[in-house]
Amino acid sequence: MADQLLEQARELFEGQIDFEGQRLTEFGATALLAIAGAISFIVGYFRQDIKLALFIGLGGTAVTFLAVVPPWPVFNRRPVKWLSTSSDVDTSDVFVDGNSEG
Amino acid sequence: MHSTVVRAQNVFGFFTTVAFAVAALIAFTDIISPRTPKASVSMSKVEVVRGRPNYYSTKKEEYAVLRFNLNADFSSLMNWNTKQLFVYVSASWPNATSSELTNEAVIWDTIITNPSADHLQNIGPAAMKKLKKSAIGKTTDPSRGKINLKNQKAKYQITAPNGKLAETNDVVLKVHYNIQPWVGLLTWTPQMEFGNWKMMKGGVSKLFNFPALKVKKAAESKS
Repeated sequence: MADQLLEQARELFEGQIDFEGQRLTEFGATALLAIAGAISFIVGYFRQDIKLALFIGLGGTAVTFLAVVPPWPVFNRRPVKWLSTSSDVDTSDVFVDGNSEG
Repeated sequence: MHSTVVRAQNVFGFFTTVAFAVAALIAFTDIISPRTPKASVSMSKVEVVRGRPNYYSTKKEEYAVLRFNLNADFSSLMNWNTKQLFVYVSASWPNATSSELTNEAVIWDTIITNPSADHLQNIGPAAMKKLKKSAIGKTTDPSRGKINLKNQKAKYQITAPNGKLAETNDVVLKVHYNIQPWVGLLTWTPQMEFGNWKMMKGGVSKLFNFPALKVKKAAESKS
């Protein structure tokens, strides 16, 4: 029971996501931060307000952190399908070091 | 990007890059923003008195006490990246021992701040209220760059290293400024044109002379 709880807590803390999710977060972080930076400069320049530019930049960064850092379910929609450990799966076509595992 | 910690590190790392790039862009906008300062300065009153550099000093030196008029328009220097503008007036006169060197001393200065620093001003509540009201809804206030002083007393009495100042000829008052930006380079009064940055129009007074030492009861009791 305690082990199970601990395992859950560990998973929550590590927040692992699948490979497709990693690709998404990589792209999302780069795009969101770059767009926030561009908007903060352009709006700040045309409004002649450097404080506004600062807060748009910081706000955009906060949004990026929220969108990318937690392991949202969107990033875990295509988990890797591992082979089962039991022998009821057909492993006759799996070869390790040239030997059939079947 | 497989775990929370790695994602947080990556986002923060790229955030620092973006912040640096935006700051560099902001600093660059200073170069394309036109600077066309104008100033006219003139001496209105000057006298030379004898005095001590401090209360306990036995040394007596000659001090020039000046009054001047200043009419300046620095509003083009107040843009979104201007944190504050430092304006100062100096008096300079030829060095007695060298034709290449000039003696120069600051007689007056002021700091022109942007509206976001208003709450830091050391002024009374009524003046503070008025100041804040003047900048309501404004992020920059170029009208603060306009200076109009008549018969302004110098803040600093000036002397020379040898303590002799009376009957010096060809003294000139000059206006200088120093822009302190939020991000970017500190810049002083340009000595040459640089793109949109024009040289200051005027800003130099006519030549005048320091008079002979003033002998007066007031000056004597002081010394």
